[in-house]
Amino acid sequence: MTARRPAALAILLLAAGRASAQAPEPVAVTVTDKGCEPAALTVPAGKSVFRISNKSRRVLEWEILQGTMIVEERENIIPGFVQSLSATLQPGSYEMTCGLLSNPKGTLTVTAAAATTAGTPDPMALVGPLAAYKLYVMGEVEAFHRQTAAFVAAIKAGTIAEAKALYPVARRHYERIEPVASLFNDLDKSMDVRADDFEKKEADPGFTGFHRLEKGLWADNSTNGLAPHADRLLADATELKRRIADLTIPPAKMAGGAAGLIEEVAATKISGEEDRYSRTDLWDFHANVEGSRKIFDLLRPLVAARDPDFVARTEKNFSRVDALLAKYRTEDGGFKPYDHLSDRDRNALKGPITVLAEDLSTLRGKLGLD
Amino acid sequence: MASCPFSTSRRALLRGLAAGTGAAAFGSTQGRAADATPSAASDGTLDRQPFHGPHQAGIVTPQPAAALVVALDVLAEDRGELAKLFRILTERFVFLTAGGPVPPLDPRLPPADSGILGPQVLPDNLTATLSVGASLFDDRYGLEGAKPRRLRPMDRFPNDSLDGKLCHGDLLLQFCANTAETNLHALRDVIRHTPGLVALRWKLEGMLPPHVVKRQGQDTVRNFLGFKDGTANLDTRDDALMHRQVWVQPGSTEPGSGEPDSREPTWAAGGSYQVVRIIRNFVERWDRTPLREQEQIFGRHKDSGAPLGETDEHALPDYASDPAGTRTPMDAHIRLANPRTKETASSLILRRGYNYSAGITPSGQLDMGLLFVCYQSDLDAGFVAVQNRLNGEPLEEYIKPVGGGYFYALPGVKEPGGFLGQGLLVGA
Repeated sequence: MTARRPAALAILLLAAGRASAQAPEPVAVTVTDKGCEPAALTVPAGKSVFRISNKSRRVLEWEILQGTMIVEERENIIPGFVQSLSATLQPGSYEMTCGLLSNPKGTLTVTAAAATTAGTPDPMALVGPLAAYKLYVMGEVEAFHRQTAAFVAAIKAGTIAEAKALYPVARRHYERIEPVASLFNDLDKSMDVRADDFEKKEADPGFTGFHRLEKGLWADNSTNGLAPHADRLLADATELKRRIADLTIPPAKMAGGAAGLIEEVAATKISGEEDRYSRTDLWDFHANVEGSRKIFDLLRPLVAARDPDFVARTEKNFSRVDALLAKYRTEDGGFKPYDHLSDRDRNALKGPITVLAEDLSTLRGKLGLD
Repeated sequence: MASCPFSTSRRALLRGLAAGTGAAAFGSTQGRAADATPSAASDGTLDRQPFHGPHQAGIVTPQPAAALVVALDVLAEDRGELAKLFRILTERFVFLTAGGPVPPLDPRLPPADSGILGPQVLPDNLTATLSVGASLFDDRYGLEGAKPRRLRPMDRFPNDSLDGKLCHGDLLLQFCANTAETNLHALRDVIRHTPGLVALRWKLEGMLPPHVVKRQGQDTVRNFLGFKDGTANLDTRDDALMHRQVWVQPGSTEPGSGEPDSREPTWAAGGSYQVVRIIRNFVERWDRTPLREQEQIFGRHKDSGAPLGETDEHALPDYASDPAGTRTPMDAHIRLANPRTKETASSLILRRGYNYSAGITPSGQLDMGLLFVCYQSDLDAGFVAVQNRLNGEPLEEYIKPVGGGYFYALPGVKEPGGFLGQGLLVGA
């Protein structure tokens, strides 16, 4: 899955609950040598656009602060120039910097917006599920890092059987949070790229990450030459953990992730192209579904009262998928190799997965999220 | 273009063909058909695009409804055989685009023509365009020194998932016509006439809705994501613009460089860099994406095709008044592709894409998308610059380039008797 640039993650505040795409009227702020005019602003929650005129004699850096944290900023506004800054703000009290450090800071009050669309939940209601989801993501990325380190160690020790056993175990933590993990496109490409993405396929020098190691372990039955790929994978996993710690997950990304994970299953898991050497596809398949269900479970209270049919149908389809997958479970908690499934078995998975993809694609809209 | 630029009636054509003077029956060869009015008698089968001219047809020619691109590997054993191939291709292109009777042969022999258009080959607005790939300039034909400066195997961009079986080629033939069968007929004709000289490498057919094509200029086709595609394309009737952005000029040099080695080879004047990209669209997933997100990803309204915040499809997006991307996100497709600044004016390209639909993926999803084709006088300043701006765009979640290549569309054949690639082979 490719995704938005990491730059988009600079959004530190939550874009909750704005139902209107209408661009808001810009709010004018003039910065002089003495400070901001006006020195106090009030805007509704959601998206605001600030038009900052630099009437001071110095190059201006205008910032919105919450405590010591910079929420948004516009740098290098030349004297005499006007620049716009678009910010999506949660209700609360903020400060604005106003030119020279010695100038008094202005105040910015963000009021809770009136619900603009009847029937969409209060944006504040998303705060709890978002916090819980962040914890889930943190837990998964922690486990992912730990299991990847063990997998890498096994490869470097040349213990093929152990490495093979650890491969699906490490991957499932990544697959559960893939919509978030793949926000970091560079790391996703490096860790989870498949040979198909290269013109020279497996022979391409750019082919690295999990699937390169998978190929070595299963197709070549050897750890020869895998050490550099293993080292790089661990370095990527470490970097992912670092970046996710600093990440605030936008609510639309969380809600959209429920559908995104099912789309992953529909596009690449059912075909059995994901883990073609190890045939551990069902581990990834299951992890995608688990990650989707986690999001659905967290958001369910917000839609249950409004659309009980949707909730009931979605739960039923998750259960259908679980029941189908249960047929392929092994005693050690894993799954049978994917080539164990006939074409008919694979087709049987398509039905509920497609219905889930259709239903979950409406989740964002039902929550009033853009 | 669906309209016929010549007033010749169908009956007169057939008379002409029967008299063995097919090409002459159509009168002079000039200009584009864009301004011609449709003849009530015409069903489009007599529409004819002139073959001869300073540039090949099929580049600034208005797009008809059907296209076929096919990449070939050349099997010719030496330069002489390569010249023979180019002569044969030229001959066939002249015949196929003009139309004419199929010569009868002894029925104990295989027929001269596939027959899929009947005993009279109708031009049907066919254009046939020959381009060469970088691999033709390897050591086989002594053309190493004659390669257009920017020509190289297609770059791999970050979102690409290129299938080597759908990439590159020594030659690329592009057939465009009113109907798909005319293109297939042309391809089969060419294969029949070039045994031992070429091997098929990959092929893809494309389509546009005929009723929209008929209203070209007043209506815009939609891509398979449901968005109008081509609203802001270059105006092919603007000769100065084509001169600047599409056609390689004699002795073209890099902007700001007077270095002799930065010049395009002399033979290349009048040609154009052609980029072909097979871009799969994840249509099931797209169809399950909220409308507003789709519109933010493209930067246009889906129904009207107007830029976000506008109602008229042809309204110019005003990015200067939207520096923070409030109205049109900074990473919207149309904003990245053409930011409409002075600095990016050099990256304007002439797009000539088609939609394709090819079957089903191993996952049981539809394999359809865009057969992207564009032309430009400078590959790097054109397509490559645009694609580099697009890298990482949100649309990438829904599209996957899987094939294509960089090619050089040869200059046109000015006079009967000449052949495509003559300057290249004689001059090098």
